[in-house]
Amino acid sequence: MAADRKSLRWVLLHGIAAIAVLCSLLTGLRIASLARPEVARFEELLPQGEVVGLHFLSALAITLAAALYVGHRLLTAFRDGATLSYRLRSLSAWRWPGWHRAIIRAGYPVLLLSLASGWLLFIGTQWHLRDWHYLGALAMLCYLALHAGLYLARWGRHSLLRICLPQGGQRSHTRLLAGAGTLALTLLLFTTGWIATVDQSQLPLPVTQIPLTDPQHPPIEIDGRANEPQWQRAAPITVYTDGGANFDDGATEITLRALTNGEEFFLSARWQDATRSLVHLPLLKTANGWEVQQQGFHHFDETRHYEDKFAVLLSSNCSFGAAGTAHLGRKPLSDRPANWHGKGYHYSSDGQLHDLWHWKAVRTNDMYLADDNFIGPPDQMRPGERRYTAGYQQDGKESGAYVMNWQWYKPTTIVPKRLPADPMQLAALQNDDRENLREKAEWVIPWFDYQPYSAAQDARFPEGTRMPSVMYNSNRFEGDRADVRARGEWKDGYWNLEMARKRVTGSALDAPIAEGTCLWVSAFDRSQIAHTRHTRALRLQFSAEPLQ
Amino acid sequence: MKIWQRSLILLLLPSSALLTTALHQPQDPRPAPYHFTKIDASGGPLPIWSGPWSCVCDHRSGLLWEVKTDSENIHDGLWTYSWYDNSWADVPDNDQFTAQPAAHRGAPTTIGTPNNGDCYFEEERCDTADLIRRTREEKLCGVQDWRLPTAAELQTLIYTDAKAGQPTIDTAFFPKTKRGDYWTSEQDESLQTVYNYLKSGAVAVSFVDGQPITIPHRNAAFVRLVSDNSKSCH
Repeated sequence: MAADRKSLRWVLLHGIAAIAVLCSLLTGLRIASLARPEVARFEELLPQGEVVGLHFLSALAITLAAALYVGHRLLTAFRDGATLSYRLRSLSAWRWPGWHRAIIRAGYPVLLLSLASGWLLFIGTQWHLRDWHYLGALAMLCYLALHAGLYLARWGRHSLLRICLPQGGQRSHTRLLAGAGTLALTLLLFTTGWIATVDQSQLPLPVTQIPLTDPQHPPIEIDGRANEPQWQRAAPITVYTDGGANFDDGATEITLRALTNGEEFFLSARWQDATRSLVHLPLLKTANGWEVQQQGFHHFDETRHYEDKFAVLLSSNCSFGAAGTAHLGRKPLSDRPANWHGKGYHYSSDGQLHDLWHWKAVRTNDMYLADDNFIGPPDQMRPGERRYTAGYQQDGKESGAYVMNWQWYKPTTIVPKRLPADPMQLAALQNDDRENLREKAEWVIPWFDYQPYSAAQDARFPEGTRMPSVMYNSNRFEGDRADVRARGEWKDGYWNLEMARKRVTGSALDAPIAEGTCLWVSAFDRSQIAHTRHTRALRLQFSAEPLQ
Repeated sequence: MKIWQRSLILLLLPSSALLTTALHQPQDPRPAPYHFTKIDASGGPLPIWSGPWSCVCDHRSGLLWEVKTDSENIHDGLWTYSWYDNSWADVPDNDQFTAQPAAHRGAPTTIGTPNNGDCYFEEERCDTADLIRRTREEKLCGVQDWRLPTAAELQTLIYTDAKAGQPTIDTAFFPKTKRGDYWTSEQDESLQTVYNYLKSGAVAVSFVDGQPITIPHRNAAFVRLVSDNSKSCH
């Protein structure tokens, strides 16, 4: 075995392929753990941090290694003068090649499946290939276990020497030069490929210019209908997003249109969501007291009793993984607290601020606002806060907000802050009809419609009473946090959302919206953090002249 | 080593790693020790991530602080108060058995402006004396000696790492704090600029920039009471 050494070329190619496959597999499984609980069980074996870019980098390395290997085999076949008829005759005289070769050959279709499904997912095809890609990853895991396992079992450490140490002997200058040239060319190809992948992968989102004042048309009203004539001029783009909770297999397509009048930027989003989810962590009176209806909120990952939401991330940075802010894993920062759900944090590693608009179907929709947030460097530890959110922060506000109707959240029972003056105020919410609860009942409490909690008043509410938990203590935010106007309307299985913000707000926490700004969108179907996502950023392309 | 031995090792090592990981439940985050302790309404300490709480003990200073609420009770964070001290009003100047200091004898028995703040809990409007009286009567957190803090005491709560737009205080322990002025016990300070004609006022600490400022007694500002002699904190 020791004498049966491989060439330097083989050692390099095999080494690169092995490292790239392992890297791709582990980072890919980490990404899969966001939506697959069966993978999340093994989270401690998976890498943490900015794995999305690393996954694509390793995919490119595997693709290049595979291409080089195919090229090498074709070249060898051509050099050996092997003809098609010879190959066909060989096939007719087929015999069992032995376990090692059989496993290696079985790896070829597995690799092909993984690469093809991966790159098609990257491109953003509408085919639902996520499961196939996952299947390819599991098959690759089996392949690695069998391939490496059988060699190690049979030859032990000699098999490691064989893949690490090339055969000895003198090499001619010509061969050395040819080898160095091939290596340099490979590195050049890889670097060029990576730069092209990073720089050219964004999808253009045309931003149609409209006049600032248009005597022919009234200004755009942010009402969630997007039915003004101006919207008809905006070219739509549809992105397939997946990896979320609920929806149809956690996926939905989002159609976007964008306009600007020079001062303001308007964005219209439309996505399929079979249910209009407004029942946000409702309170239920039980024999023990009021309970918050939840199944994952205690770990900040509710996927059942939650409102629908939509998020837009804007940045001058177009890196993979939401401008490089997605850091996966339970504790991606060694000197900061772990998260409760094991999924990860959003933060910037280079100090840049990225804008985040967070529309919430209950908590902000009736304010006609989206929550104006940002993603910045990881926040410091704040010992009094149970939930650490790293770089995900809210812009400042002067006043106004929503508050939750409990004095202090507990997974057992809570004491409401306020109660209706008359239990009949909750009558419409006691109808168990799902359609009524989700789509018709009013789930926002105006502060002054309720009164401060008292035990005497509480006694008037029978067991089984259902009560909303979101209270508006004013009708909107005031200050920086209120920069994004937004309104969503749900109709016939679709949310239609209109958003508007000044292109330049003057706030240090807002990203200016300009040519080349990159944008990512995510939809949430009654989920707290489990949002859909897409790989390729959308790059804003402003039209030069206003359309009349 | 024989093939079967190597095979066994190769099978057992990854299998046990996978099994251990699958069975192991990651530990939930745990709070780090901190110099603030939450105190409930009866004076008992609470774990750092528990609530609701009515007071906070700062172990650095030994002071117990009132915590504001949004429950429309006397501790609601929205209420404002004019600066007013009537603590000597019922004490005769010639009473040798009171604790009234000699320096105070002959001075006015009330200082400041009564009833010029906004609250729901008084029939008239509110002043600092109202909140002190009501909080003492309530024995908030088991304490009766509630008072206005000095500027130096109040400035121990200034937290310069506050999040964007939030008051300069650790809001995880002191919720419902406003970005505004909070009265201190220090008064008879000269007023400057536009308030110069009123001659003297009291010191407030701004929870925007953490700096003290002298403002007229009649102004409506926020209040956070303090106690330096609580059982909860000592």
